[in-house]
Amino acid sequence: MKCDWVRQNILFYVYNELEDDARYEVEQHLARCPECATELKATRKFHATLSATPVEEPTPNLLAASRMRLQEALETTQPGSFWHHLILEPAAWLRQIRLSPALAAVIFVVGFGGGIGATYNYLASGRGNVTGTIASDPSNPSLDQPLESSIAGIRSVTQEPGSNQVSIKYDTVSTQEAQGSLNDQRIQQLLLFAARNNYNSGVRMDSVDLLTQAPNDASVREALMYALQNDTNPGVRLKALDGLSGFVRQDPRVRDGVLRALISDANSGVRMQALRLVEPLKTDSNVRSVLTRLAQTDQNPSIRSQARTMLAQMPEMD
Amino acid sequence: MPADSYAIAIPVGEISRPRQTAQGSNQNPIVRGSLAAQGNRIDDTSLIREAQQGNRAAFEVLVRHYDQSVLRLALHLTGSESDAQDVYQEAFLKAYKNLGSFRFECSFYTWIYRIVTNLCLDHLRKRNVRKEDAPVAVDASGEEYSRLEQFADVRSGANPERDLMRRELGRKIGTALSALTPRERMVFELKHYHGLKLRTVGEMLNTTEETAKNTLFRATQKLRSALAEMR
Repeated sequence: MKCDWVRQNILFYVYNELEDDARYEVEQHLARCPECATELKATRKFHATLSATPVEEPTPNLLAASRMRLQEALETTQPGSFWHHLILEPAAWLRQIRLSPALAAVIFVVGFGGGIGATYNYLASGRGNVTGTIASDPSNPSLDQPLESSIAGIRSVTQEPGSNQVSIKYDTVSTQEAQGSLNDQRIQQLLLFAARNNYNSGVRMDSVDLLTQAPNDASVREALMYALQNDTNPGVRLKALDGLSGFVRQDPRVRDGVLRALISDANSGVRMQALRLVEPLKTDSNVRSVLTRLAQTDQNPSIRSQARTMLAQMPEMD
Repeated sequence: MPADSYAIAIPVGEISRPRQTAQGSNQNPIVRGSLAAQGNRIDDTSLIREAQQGNRAAFEVLVRHYDQSVLRLALHLTGSESDAQDVYQEAFLKAYKNLGSFRFECSFYTWIYRIVTNLCLDHLRKRNVRKEDAPVAVDASGEEYSRLEQFADVRSGANPERDLMRRELGRKIGTALSALTPRERMVFELKHYHGLKLRTVGEMLNTTEETAKNTLFRATQKLRSALAEMR
């Protein structure tokens, strides 16, 4: 009987899954039972045989490619909030309620009580109309800002020499002009719009150039990332890279955006600039795998050579 | 919220390192990085909360805590780089979409692994229809190769006889593993190759530690007899 129990537990002994007292029992038994000791030996041999073929690590290239693919998908995916799940996935919370009769009862009682209270208030007030006020905040600058949908295009963006005053001409139904400092929310909104939407690449260039002066702002950084990835003009993409240069180390999204540009931007000047930006991060596994790929496959000999040099200067990884 | 106000606790691009566990002489010698993620759990709570409020950068940092282990598991179970990439992609997208329903009732590590193991189980169930494919892997370019043989090439150095034996052993193990049921394969994989405790394996597979224990026992018996027959 004891041998049966021990043999059923030898596997868990080898895998270190026994409680201390069971472990002690097994060890005591093994010390005096040669048959069970033979079984332990066989189990250990089996364990060692399977361990001779360890799990293959994913290659850095596979990891980097998977991360980039995920990142692209995340850009077009909305995270689900708690309320989103509650509203859009009623099956989930119904299942939870079914498993929690007490909770269901509480919800029912509260709902019933609330209904009675609301009816009483309605009858007591003697009127059926719902009243309320619409809050308005006169200090809210968005009220007097042009809506993006009403902007037909940005005509020009100019900065006053020696100051941070910016002048932007844009069309709505008729052309309008906005003036203000770079810190002005309205000016920033127009610049962001121009950086993304304007058909005139000169205007996009000016806008991105000005936006690079305030890359700390989240929406500005988004616009720079957008320009880097989507603008058709290499000059605009270079400007965007300049603006993002200070954030390659601290913001993983910026780093990955720069790595994407490094791999896929059609312009070698942009790729070269991206390469300079990632140089301080060359020990990062993502950067390393992209450098390895560039060193082998980039069309531009200078970029291949520069990538090889950076890889050669890298400290040995353990 | 400005994007630069995130409190990111780890260096950019840091790769999880194996974490030493205080197990005795029975410690599986090949248990690797999968446990490393556990060390990051303390950082996770704030990242999860940020991500739940729509901060994508925080979610991406969270992904990097676990994605290497996830990809390794998917790669070993599916035997194909492109399938592993699909599992990886689907798992993290699913996590992103469902992050709002994560209520900290278990660790994020268990939660993400639960998603991954479910996807891998689906994959194994579909593939069980054609088991003969099991030891053969497909790389990103669609070329077929044997992962186990490739591994042998790297380790055996200049000894062709040993190399041949390793390849043969690898092939036998691959065949024996592919003969397990998807659930047995999963429990064995998580225990033997990823070094997880059976209690954690049970949590990930929505079952009890005792059931995981029985499944491991059954899987091991099958593997032992399959490998003995092949000798």
